[in-house]
Amino acid sequence: MNGDLSQLLPLLGYMAFMIGVSIFIRYQQQHSGLMNNFVRTYFIGNRDLGGFVLAMTTVATYSSVSSFVGGPGVAWNIGFGWVYMAVVQVTAVFLVLGIFGKRVALLARKFDAVTVIDIIRRRYNSDWLAELSAYIIVLFFCATMVAQFVGGAKLFEAVTGYSYVMGLVLFGLMVVVYTTIGGFRAVAVTDTCCALMMMFGIVLLFYYVLQFGGGYDTIIADIEARHPEMLEPLSGGKMPYGLYLTQWILVGICTIALPQSVVRGLAFKDNRSLVRAMLIGTFVVGFMNIGINLSGILGQGVLTGTLTDYGGADNIIPRIVVTAMPSTLASIAIIGPLAASISTISSLLLVGSSAIIKDVYLHRQEKKNRRPSDRKLRFLSMMATAVLGAVVFVIALTPPSLIWLINMFAFGGLETAFFWTLLLGLYWRKANKTGAMLSMGGGTLIYCVAQGIGFKIMGLHQITIGITVSLILFLLGTYLGKPEKQEVLADFFPEE
Amino acid sequence: MTEKEKYLQIRKEAMWTGITLVVLILFWIAAGFGLAGTEVKLFGLPIWAVGGTIGVWLFAMVLVKVLTTIIFKDFPLDEAGEEDRP
Repeated sequence: MNGDLSQLLPLLGYMAFMIGVSIFIRYQQQHSGLMNNFVRTYFIGNRDLGGFVLAMTTVATYSSVSSFVGGPGVAWNIGFGWVYMAVVQVTAVFLVLGIFGKRVALLARKFDAVTVIDIIRRRYNSDWLAELSAYIIVLFFCATMVAQFVGGAKLFEAVTGYSYVMGLVLFGLMVVVYTTIGGFRAVAVTDTCCALMMMFGIVLLFYYVLQFGGGYDTIIADIEARHPEMLEPLSGGKMPYGLYLTQWILVGICTIALPQSVVRGLAFKDNRSLVRAMLIGTFVVGFMNIGINLSGILGQGVLTGTLTDYGGADNIIPRIVVTAMPSTLASIAIIGPLAASISTISSLLLVGSSAIIKDVYLHRQEKKNRRPSDRKLRFLSMMATAVLGAVVFVIALTPPSLIWLINMFAFGGLETAFFWTLLLGLYWRKANKTGAMLSMGGGTLIYCVAQGIGFKIMGLHQITIGITVSLILFLLGTYLGKPEKQEVLADFFPEE
Repeated sequence: MTEKEKYLQIRKEAMWTGITLVVLILFWIAAGFGLAGTEVKLFGLPIWAVGGTIGVWLFAMVLVKVLTTIIFKDFPLDEAGEEDRP
């Protein structure tokens, strides 16, 4: 199926729709006067997200293209152990909203905070820490976004037969455009559409995989005969206990500290929306992770060779789509994984540009008692989003290899940097600046070095080193350093 | 609700969210590894492969429903508590 234009139409239509939504939202906000507080509206909306949209945007941001392509490709090879591991992600939404949601919401209203860094700056009373946070966010976000772009464009190339660059332009440039125009509100709404498309794509894929393989019973009986280890939790040694442990930390528990998730706490409306989002989010994450990985396993009925026959796990899902689905439907089904990619990019772009504009530029201006005009801020905010997007786009044009490793690397780095700083900062009165600086700076550095030289303890992913070191450094710094000022503590801990 | 009460309530909610996590982890271990030795089958699969995946998912939703119904309380998030501040 090479270069048939009808292959592109569904994707083109979808992207055009996303841009339309974004322009409409911008127009609406302009007319309701919300844009008078441009920075807040652009970066965080009007603190009025309802439960459904809150759930969908949190899930869509969190689920990346690798959950849809690389992951299920491995499931095809490993079997049910992989689904057993992937299901730990059902914790991701209710944990972050349940632990940080309201705390951050209350504090954000108190200080009129627009970013997570605003809150960190207040809590630890430190501009250095805030700037360090901003740089860490921009750096790791860029890495994640490149991974999303590359993953999406490769999938596009494999399924449609059009070139990699064409795919990158089609969905990549478009996502930069609509994020730049519409800001937070548009990201939340488009994310919701993306999450729905992901679920739809999974259902389509699941159905066609079953059809092609001759039905559920046939495929399972075939797996049992050919690969009995796929029905064991340790998968004949391919899924060691250590991997389960690190996945619990990396994609389960520690995800509560990802700034792109925590920032949702600044944006929701009330208890009702929070509670609904926790429930809906848990449903959707489970549905997606089980659905897509199960489709991967059942893909054994579609592709019966070995992993090397298909050139690695990343190629499995594209091959299954091309083999099992009629080509018109395949072009609709790939909107799902591409939606996973663009919905992650849009949120990261915006949080990244808010770090540059709000947390670095605007704060420096305010310190010098300068108040940039609204026009200027409007221009700069949009420029920062567009330029950040453009830089990542250019890097993705010549893709670095081992892309999913980069994605997990960035995940672990952000968690190392922010987990203790946020958790202890918001719930432990004694936590102080010295602890946070040491933890964020030292922990992240050691994590990166360990990744760089490939140092592991007991063969576990470096997140275990990062998160342990950053805790030790935090406690050490807190013990050595001075406690924070009374008035800061009174603002953050009125209950004590 | 005073500001102090709100923050105490949030602390309680966060703590119970953490406890929910622990319960879910225990269930995950029991339903997956715990059932892995059993010969019983469900949907043609060994029972751990169902309990440890779909089972965990359904159980997580029940837990979250219970958590948010019993523990989580509705109160205004904006300045309503302002007058209580010294």
